[in-house]
Amino acid sequence: MQQVTLTVNGREVTAEIDERTLLLEFVREVAGFTGAHNGCLEARCGCCAIEVDGEITKSCNVLAVQVDGAEVTTVEGLAPQRLAPVEHVTTQSLAGMYAPLEAVRTRAEDLHPLQEAFHRCHALQCGFCTPGMLMVLKGHLEENPEPTRDGVRHAIAGNLCRCTGYQHIVDAAMEAAEVMRGDAPVPADG
Amino acid sequence: MTEAPPRTAGPGPAATGPRLVGTSVPRKEDLALLTGTARFIDDIRLPGMVHATILRSTVAHARVRSIDTAPARAVPGVLDVLAGAELVGKVKPWGDLMQDLLVGDHFPFATDKVLYEGQELAAVVAGTRYQALDGCEAVAVDLEELPAVVDPEQALRPDAPLVQERIVYEFGEGNVFDRYRVRVGDFAAAERDAAVVVRQRFTTNKQAGAALDPHGCVASHDPFTGVLTLWSSTQSVYMVRDVLADVLQIPRTKVRVMVPEVGAGFGSKAQMFGHEVIAALFSMRLGRPVKLVLRRDEIFRAGTTRNSQVRYAELAMAADGEITGYRDYVVHNTGAMSVWGNQVVHIGTNVGMLPYPIPNVHVDSDIVHTTTAPGGPLRGFGIPQTVWAKEQLVDMAARELGLDPLAVRERNVVDPATFPYRTPMGQVIDSTSIKQCLTACAEAIDWAAKRAAPVPHEGLGLAVSMKYTSCRHPSLDTDLSAVRLRLETDGTVTIYSSDVSHGQSHATMLSQIVADGLGVGIEKVTLAPPDSMTAPFGLGTYASRGAAVLGTACRLATERLRDKVLAIAAHVLEVGPGDLDTGNDRVFVKGLPDSGIYLEILAATAAYRTHQLPPDFEPTLETVATYDTPTEREASDGSGNLSVTYSGAAHAAHVRVDPETGRVTVVDYAMVHDTGTVINPLVVEGQHQGGFLMGMGMALSEDYVYDENGHQLNASFKDYLAVTAPEVPELTRMSEIPAPSTTIPGGQKGAGESGTGPVPAAIGNAVLDATGIRFTALPITPQRMLTALREKERRGVETLRYPDDMPDFTGPRCPDEWPSPTAAEADDFDFDFDFDLDPEEGA
Ligand code: FES
Ligand code: FES
Repeated sequence: MQQVTLTVNGREVTAEIDERTLLLEFVREVAGFTGAHNGCLEARCGCCAIEVDGEITKSCNVLAVQVDGAEVTTVEGLAPQRLAPVEHVTTQSLAGMYAPLEAVRTRAEDLHPLQEAFHRCHALQCGFCTPGMLMVLKGHLEENPEPTRDGVRHAIAGNLCRCTGYQHIVDAAMEAAEVMRGDAPVPADG
Repeated sequence: MTEAPPRTAGPGPAATGPRLVGTSVPRKEDLALLTGTARFIDDIRLPGMVHATILRSTVAHARVRSIDTAPARAVPGVLDVLAGAELVGKVKPWGDLMQDLLVGDHFPFATDKVLYEGQELAAVVAGTRYQALDGCEAVAVDLEELPAVVDPEQALRPDAPLVQERIVYEFGEGNVFDRYRVRVGDFAAAERDAAVVVRQRFTTNKQAGAALDPHGCVASHDPFTGVLTLWSSTQSVYMVRDVLADVLQIPRTKVRVMVPEVGAGFGSKAQMFGHEVIAALFSMRLGRPVKLVLRRDEIFRAGTTRNSQVRYAELAMAADGEITGYRDYVVHNTGAMSVWGNQVVHIGTNVGMLPYPIPNVHVDSDIVHTTTAPGGPLRGFGIPQTVWAKEQLVDMAARELGLDPLAVRERNVVDPATFPYRTPMGQVIDSTSIKQCLTACAEAIDWAAKRAAPVPHEGLGLAVSMKYTSCRHPSLDTDLSAVRLRLETDGTVTIYSSDVSHGQSHATMLSQIVADGLGVGIEKVTLAPPDSMTAPFGLGTYASRGAAVLGTACRLATERLRDKVLAIAAHVLEVGPGDLDTGNDRVFVKGLPDSGIYLEILAATAAYRTHQLPPDFEPTLETVATYDTPTEREASDGSGNLSVTYSGAAHAAHVRVDPETGRVTVVDYAMVHDTGTVINPLVVEGQHQGGFLMGMGMALSEDYVYDENGHQLNASFKDYLAVTAPEVPELTRMSEIPAPSTTIPGGQKGAGESGTGPVPAAIGNAVLDATGIRFTALPITPQRMLTALREKERRGVETLRYPDDMPDFTGPRCPDEWPSPTAAEADDFDFDFDFDLDPEEGA
């Protein structure tokens, strides 16, 4: 057993852990952020991708003890004000006011541009690969503010998605890049 | 009665008719999934929960001498250990529980014999997963290895090792589990009169669903109530509940199955598995919640796979290109055991004949066991296998007759003067636009111009299919889904359904239907999580049945709810129900959309002010509807209308083959579909794109590779080549030509699998066009391509069928009469393919 301290999404977490504990397991089971997923534990599917000291990392490929003291951001840290999904429920007084289509959309400022674009472009089906895709694309877009479709495809070559055929994921990344550059107005209603 | 304020936003006051159905409403499911707050099976944590792990066989076929679990009990942290011997007589074997052919071939652990690598031998539960793994290592296993049988044709031989020794099959013997046949028309006559009969032996691969979210469950038995609660990553609540209760011999009321988010299934989670029984048993023994989530290698080895097939297929064509007959002998490899495997060949063959109304069809199939991973359903359910053979034969016949493959297909696809139209195979086509889809798809890929100006190493290929929309399985005389709706007293609506959404967007799609039907805002509609304690009985989510079958149940329940709501409003407003309309969360007098009574007022009346209800009105606003499709059972000649309606798919592939590396690149791909009335276009587009991905994996890279001992050599994403983003072409040449179903009230057709069926065949036809090589085996790997190219050059021929080049063959009926295929060279699938491979020394 060894003591490890990590800062996960801004919260400092210290624990005595089995040395075999993977960073992914620390984040999920010790820190309690289950957004990063275990899809293979062989560094192939990318579902476990998180940011470790600014680097996007497959967290199943690292032992927690190796990164003692690190600063970690998971998908939960992308939109901290949205830690729980809020079902928007109108009351009678609002009934004449809302527009049904807009009500199921979230307000853009709540989410990271990538999350917003994934939602708009239907870039997730089962959503299991999504947290890893978001983190890897965040890294890619921060380094490549003017991405190409091909570049995006190669950036996510280490992330599997069995549902979408990747097309809408690439669409979403391109749209998000525009928003992140500030070229595109934040879409008001998609 | 309440006056509503004037609307300031949103759709206009014309509240009748569909408003949301047909629009790409962004999904209700997304927020939780995007923010990491969605809860999948491995995210569930209960107080006092402990962890179980399964010890699996590392050999494929063996006699069990002994399994000693005692040493595991001594490992620190280990709480309990289970193996097969102590369960015999206490736990009931299962298999295809609900079919005529009742087979108890499944048991939580191997008892006397191991039948495939990865089969369960023992399981350990401990305080942590690592302790459980340590416990598994301590179990002493003594196995006597037996010869494996990997090849399904080898399994047919009288001297083959017998896989299932204990089970006496009704229709088969030896390793033949079941037999299937189709006798429609007279193939012999078609053969006599044909201008050309083309024949070829084709093989298909064992593909994995490889849903990224692992199979797994959490079992929690409450000793006080006696209720066993099982959270499971499954596609079907009731399949798991009913089979699990039966296996454990407890009442179905004492098993509660709940389903968290499920990270896809593609058919691979459409049954109950051993791990669900094991977790349940541990929890019942310990009185604690037990989590058991499988690792990736376990899922590869012991999950279900696409059934591989060997097909001796023949197609007869008249001089004008009319397809007059199809004959096939199919060796269908269903692995060591199977729940759904034998159904695949029935439905895959029956529906796989479409979109051609072939008058003479003659098919025999032996469904065989091998010592490989269990076969089962996977996106396409037998259709891609049939289409792979049939659509290549269509091209072969067209070439022999000097006809354009496009023209031949246009001549043959079902295009009746009137609907419904019954094909010779028995399918009732209630509507289709397949011919227009085909033409549009050829235009989208620029068929005529590109074929007029061929580019070296590039080629075009077409394939068409029509896919079932749900199915009355030959073994399961039912095809139903159900929905219960409740209008809550605050005007929100809860939908209850047991058909698990695992990527299909049920919450959005069903809410669109309810919102339109009831005039309620979509954000007020919620889909309750699937739970056998609350949801009405339904079969589950598979076979592309969500939009059409579940959607219809939802539509019916909505109509019933609307009738009840109108009855109360009519009573309160003292008008006839026919004078009323719904919209904007209100019921209003037609023509006065800005007035009316809010739904929540009516719901509250129905629950809390029952004196104000119409006389004889049964209080509360809750309705349930079950929809069972008007499909037929399979007839003894194999014919029948097994599906309520059929979705059309016309695909065109443009490929480039690199002669240096052997790599096939899909440069461009066009898909035109008939999915009937589409509820959410963006969702359906996503289904087609995902379907394509799975078809592309089947065509080019995905396969189970076994050595002769039955060891799977690629049970990991390192070696199992799932398709990645850079390999996929831009999927923008996609369109819909909707021919709404006339049987399904809303006009929907199944979307989930249309994108998969034609892909391997379209790519195969394009590869022939590019290289002159007709691939007869899947997947078309770089190494196979290099070998084939070299063989073609060595022989100095224009075209070559690879690996089975059998030009002398003339119409035999059983495998013994087939000439031996002349495979060019050893055909090992090199899954560690190195793209720098020198073609001279390749293979
Ligand atoms: S779980 Fe880490 S890459 Fe798959
Ligand atoms: S959305 Fe299901 S794996 Fe990507």
